[in-house]
Amino acid sequence: MKNSPIVGKHQGLSAKMADFGGWLMPIEYPKTGAIEEYNSVRNSVGIFDVSHLGKVSVIGQGATNFLNEQFTNDLSKIIDSQAQYTLMCNSKGGVIDDLIAYRNLDSDYFLIPNAANTASVFEVLKANAPAGISVENLHEQFAVFALQGPKSIELLNSLGVDCSLDYMAFSKSKFDGTDAILCRTGYTGELGFEIIPTWQDAGKVWDLLFNSVVSLGGAVCGLGARDLLRTEMGYPLHGHELTLDISPIQASASWAVDLNKSNFTGKQILLDQKQNGTSHKLKAILATDRAIPRKDMQVKDQSGNLIGQVTSGTFSPSLKKGIGLALISSEISKGDKVIVDVRGRDSVFEVVALPFVPSRVR
Amino acid sequence: MSAVPENLRYTKEHEWVEELAPNKFRVGITDYAQSALGDIVYIQLPKLSSQVLANSVCGEVESTKSVSEIYAPITGKVVSVNSSLESNPEIINTDPYGKGWIVEIEISQATLSESLLSAADYQNLTA
Repeated sequence: MKNSPIVGKHQGLSAKMADFGGWLMPIEYPKTGAIEEYNSVRNSVGIFDVSHLGKVSVIGQGATNFLNEQFTNDLSKIIDSQAQYTLMCNSKGGVIDDLIAYRNLDSDYFLIPNAANTASVFEVLKANAPAGISVENLHEQFAVFALQGPKSIELLNSLGVDCSLDYMAFSKSKFDGTDAILCRTGYTGELGFEIIPTWQDAGKVWDLLFNSVVSLGGAVCGLGARDLLRTEMGYPLHGHELTLDISPIQASASWAVDLNKSNFTGKQILLDQKQNGTSHKLKAILATDRAIPRKDMQVKDQSGNLIGQVTSGTFSPSLKKGIGLALISSEISKGDKVIVDVRGRDSVFEVVALPFVPSRVR
Repeated sequence: MSAVPENLRYTKEHEWVEELAPNKFRVGITDYAQSALGDIVYIQLPKLSSQVLANSVCGEVESTKSVSEIYAPITGKVVSVNSSLESNPEIINTDPYGKGWIVEIEISQATLSESLLSAADYQNLTA
């Protein structure tokens, strides 16, 4: 099992730790717990260590064109110092990973894939890279901290950090003299930032952020709270909503697939799916009783016919109800009722629009 | 370190049992169990007046991240359930041995026949 560069800080706080893609990461902290941590992010500010996320650099003349053949979204839509959510598909339209691409220059990109998929993303890019483009796996050379919540700006201002960035923009920054990349990105649905110091500087930057979060009345947050926050937004998680067997068209991630691009891996099958539809689509479901849906639970129509499965489910602290994402028959639409088999009990859910809770990222 | 009150008895499934009368027992889940589960957001209580069997499932508690079954520590009849937990299941997290009690079970015989763990035994089990 791999460790974050600041694993000692989590242990010092007696965090509950668990395996995330081969990394031992904090789930929650005993002083707070997932719901209080969640509340800090929605109402004030929270800091997460997400150093398990991958880091890959792609550098060389023609990097934009090269990556545009590997990823589904169109990198020519962003300019230097902007980031883009995108996906890497295989030739069958299955999703190898979803990731954020940070454009330093036309010839210089920094990628943040998921921890468990970093090796796969790196291998594909390395294998396909033409002469002159170098791909490097920097997984253990940078840490990633997510500072999320409405008080994020106030906190960064108090540290003298200029954070006047548009959503999905990033810049070089200094934290008490220490270099780090500051990105206006996140996975919570709240206004927030992700901060990328080097592995060596991680402890210093964490201490600075941690102390400021505490003094503002915020919380250090684990990945349990992060999952509550992202599920309320309907953000997909690879291994749940996106897999080698679920395409971005099925997973309602079409917005991150640019079918007008000349060519990219998986384009033909994704184009076909877009034009002809797919049998199943990802939908949001909301409990009508006290049931909480969980991954892999079966979903039925009102006549009892199996129509799909839950891909993610949890309890929404904001709505005080069970919420879920489910890959179900495309014939089901918003407002319809479906039945989830919750450990042998049939519970009625309503198909609703995403997000479950309004996004405040901008 | 989880609290393990001396005056209670315990099961390997992390329930506690308090003797209210020689034939009446109050049951809940331990501090260790609530801490392992995390924030509890849902409970399915046993049905009032139903019969429960020792070591059989009689309800469930669910946290933000997982679900866990509640096992009846003893055989008997459910004579009371803590229905305040239905709207405020988080009481189990804050007061597992007090306001977070789950069910009261009455046995038909004069004394308890099931063998339960002492506080010291349970402490060793969860150490």
